[in-house]
Amino acid sequence: MDGYALYVVGLLTAGGIYAILALALNLQWGFTGLFNAGIAGFFAVGAYVSVILTAPESPTIIGGYGLPLVVGCGAAMIASGLVAWGIGRVCIRLRSDYLAIATIGIAEILRLVFKNESWATNGPRGIAGIPKAFEWVPYPWNQVAFLGMVLATVLVIYLALETAWRSPWGRVMTAIRDSEAAAKASGKDVERFRLESFILGAAIMGLGGAYFAQYLKYFGPETSDPTSVTFLVWVMLIMGGSGNNRGAVLGALLLWAIWSATELLTSMLPPDWAVRSAYLRIFLIGLVLQVVLQRYSKGILPETRPAVVGTSTRAGATTGNAT
Amino acid sequence: MKKLLMSSAATLALAVSAQAADVKVGSVGGITGPIAEIVADVYEGRNLAAKHVNEQGGMFAGDTLVMVPGDGACDPKAAVDAATKVVNVDQVVAIVGASCSGETNAMVQAVTIPAGVVNVSDSATAPSITDLADNDLVFRIAPSDAYQGYALADYVLKSGVTKVALTYSNDDYNAGLGKVFEKAFQEKGGTITSAQVHEPNKASYRAEVQTLSGGEPEALVLFAYYGSSGISITRNALETGSFTKFFGADGMINEETIKQIGAENLQDAAYTTPGADDTTASYTAYAALASAGGLRNAFGPYVPNGYDATFLMALAIEKAGAPDRTKIAAALREVANAPGEVILPGEWEKAKALIAAGTDINYQGVSGEIEFDAKGDVSGVYTLNTVTPEGTFKTVLLK
Amino acid sequence: MWELFNFYLIPGIVLGCIYALGALGISLTFGILRFSNFAHGEMMMLGAYFTFTIVGLTGWHPLAAALPAMVLCAIVALGLDRAFFKPFRQAPTIMLVIASFGLMLMIRSAVQFFWGVSPRPLMPGIQRPQAFLDGALLIAPKHIWIIGTTLLVMLAVHLLLTRTRTGKAMRAVSDSPELARLTGIDVEAVIRATWVVGAVTAVAAGVMLAMDTQVETLMGFKMLLPMFAAAILGGIGRPFGAVAGGLVIGVVEEMSAYPFIGTVPLLNPAYKSGIAFGIMVLMLIWRPSGLFKGRVF
Repeated sequence: MDGYALYVVGLLTAGGIYAILALALNLQWGFTGLFNAGIAGFFAVGAYVSVILTAPESPTIIGGYGLPLVVGCGAAMIASGLVAWGIGRVCIRLRSDYLAIATIGIAEILRLVFKNESWATNGPRGIAGIPKAFEWVPYPWNQVAFLGMVLATVLVIYLALETAWRSPWGRVMTAIRDSEAAAKASGKDVERFRLESFILGAAIMGLGGAYFAQYLKYFGPETSDPTSVTFLVWVMLIMGGSGNNRGAVLGALLLWAIWSATELLTSMLPPDWAVRSAYLRIFLIGLVLQVVLQRYSKGILPETRPAVVGTSTRAGATTGNAT
Repeated sequence: MKKLLMSSAATLALAVSAQAADVKVGSVGGITGPIAEIVADVYEGRNLAAKHVNEQGGMFAGDTLVMVPGDGACDPKAAVDAATKVVNVDQVVAIVGASCSGETNAMVQAVTIPAGVVNVSDSATAPSITDLADNDLVFRIAPSDAYQGYALADYVLKSGVTKVALTYSNDDYNAGLGKVFEKAFQEKGGTITSAQVHEPNKASYRAEVQTLSGGEPEALVLFAYYGSSGISITRNALETGSFTKFFGADGMINEETIKQIGAENLQDAAYTTPGADDTTASYTAYAALASAGGLRNAFGPYVPNGYDATFLMALAIEKAGAPDRTKIAAALREVANAPGEVILPGEWEKAKALIAAGTDINYQGVSGEIEFDAKGDVSGVYTLNTVTPEGTFKTVLLK
Repeated sequence: MWELFNFYLIPGIVLGCIYALGALGISLTFGILRFSNFAHGEMMMLGAYFTFTIVGLTGWHPLAAALPAMVLCAIVALGLDRAFFKPFRQAPTIMLVIASFGLMLMIRSAVQFFWGVSPRPLMPGIQRPQAFLDGALLIAPKHIWIIGTTLLVMLAVHLLLTRTRTGKAMRAVSDSPELARLTGIDVEAVIRATWVVGAVTAVAAGVMLAMDTQVETLMGFKMLLPMFAAAILGGIGRPFGAVAGGLVIGVVEEMSAYPFIGTVPLLNPAYKSGIAFGIMVLMLIWRPSGLFKGRVF
């Protein structure tokens, strides 16, 4: 089963990066109720910024400073956060569906910019030769080390969000999500809280983009298309359980596993079916998704309300459904 | 987990040689992506080659050549996932693919080069693939598009047209071609009245072609895939009367173009494509085999390349003597490059006998003679395709 | 002057009509079921494929063949509602959005499986424009058909919404589902009616698009985001706002390629797809309720 182990490494790496994105979305949607449909935009900003800083010098792109990967990841988070700040200043007051449409529009415009401003990004040709963490480790251990980095990041973000979720900050967030008027009435600066959540989530999405660029060692405009980034991450979060960080991680890993492993089934069909089996696979993915959604209409791990601090420190970790 | 991996690394080589009756080759490409209609035809080409191999004795002592499909969807994320599966789960000997340049770029860098698996792409044309640090594992039989832009520029000027308008689709293939043509045409003394990039997949390009017709160009040079914007732009240009004369490249060559626009409207259209012309033995052999095999679109974009890539890969594996990943690269050069006894498309039995006898062979493809250089690239020959009044493409050699 | 009119404004109106028909269905679904239906583009595509097949079997004009295709698509839409949307009537609307995303994948891959992915012509050949007003006005016959049919469909939808019991019930549910239920309106029947009207307008949009371009499996998905933009621009839940929104986006997209300054297009055509979103984002910031005072959530 050796080959399967290596496949699982690949599966968990991509699934883990998706889990980072799903956690970020959970912060925005699950905690605060911000309908961000522009995940691909922040993802792309993070990826391009980190690539431009860390890639070796090349005539086809700007930058190519060959900086350390940590710097690239940090800059990716800052850049995505800044973009989110700019968008948020204008759009954060929009209510959920309108925010969704605004962010989807802005993300598409960003994608067009990355695609067309070839002097900076090499346009549709994309950027190859992106440095990746742990490349100096011999194969296949470099893949395992990279996976370790991704999973560690997922864990750190998970713990940070769990802490935030139980803090007063987190409770203000859910209060805003559930009733903005009530939160306002109790004297909270609703817009500031929403903006904070939006920026923080976007920064994490930027980190996801930087990681994906490293993992693929290539980044181009087609890498951040809305279907396989924005919508897929939404499906992951809703399937796993919106408002539940474990649900976000589970949803990401599970959906990515479905997305990927269905091909193992369909590729067993006769070779003349190579093309049709690929369509069959997408159909299967859609069908499995529907079944899971109907079976778990609140997500596989539904939201659990953290108890008020003081009554029980472990309350947030219980699986009872308080809502 | 780690123990599992340790054992995995140790038994990797064993697993490859342990396979008995099937010789597996990965067949990765953008089956569900933005150019699904082109890739579907390319897969027919690949599968036809595998069929010929299996009908004429198969691999080695009668093993079956199995093409394991992987859907890269012309998306680097999907391509890496698909390649991870065929390399690790299916334990393929080598890979044919992928389709798009970005897809191929990510696949080889993230998966196949680290794993030491050879791949031959049948349609990735981006120059950046040439210079990858690939340990001699990345090959392609689609010539880098720099050459084609020059070939077409030459032809346009020779046909007496000196003022053209240019538009190209903003994707990894056509944009590269468009930029090379723009440079080449002006260097050779032609005038480009206006050059536009267009976004593929829009419903209407009437306004764009009308603006392009300003400055009295004699023809429209259009680089696009027929399905995503090529047919629409040609149709819009003809309908608004902005252009009647068209030049373009292989992305347009599909019977669907003629069917939709009408042969009578395309008498002044000419498209270049890398590949053999219809006087060569390879062309004749392939044309007969493709028609017998029921290919819908035997000479569509990269369909011959798909056939060649697969056939060549089978030859290389046979030459290597065993389904051993490490021996494929060297064997590929031996079977593809001159000198050697010439092998035409479909001549598997003959090739197998020659390889068994230890004779050097030289596969002559439909998409070109296929001589790999040090970087694993080929330089192509180009043919010109025009539309006959009967609604078929006529192919002649350029230069 | 006539050049701007014939080669930029008229194509813009034709494109706008297609956007408008698509946006009409999206807006209706949004008003009554309260979710963004990602599968709407695929319904357009499915309708175009049904029409294509019927034309191939019978040799009818595409517009005639569109009628049975509408019936087929309405049946499909009702079946899909029963299987995939009905279980989520009481759930948060995001579940419906995700379900429609799954449905989008399923419909598209089913069509790719059965019909293949090669683009097909619905009206092969080219149609040169005919001259009117002493050659000053140029318009192709199929464009007259498209504009005429769009007007007809819109008139029908308008009459349905204002003159019939079902239409009035639909408007009532759109304004306030709770109130509508209390006054004894059969909300389930209204939802079914919405799917039927949505499917019929989607097929109309798909067939118009296919007449002007071709039938292919990504045709609906490519139009989806601009159609959403059109629905937002007009004001969500305002069907005629959606029509206006579609026309605005279509006309601005085509006009943006006019060389107002010098000889190059005003806006680089590579950014054409950004226009719909640009207009939409500006609109959201300037007037979030849309052109026609749609619902603010």
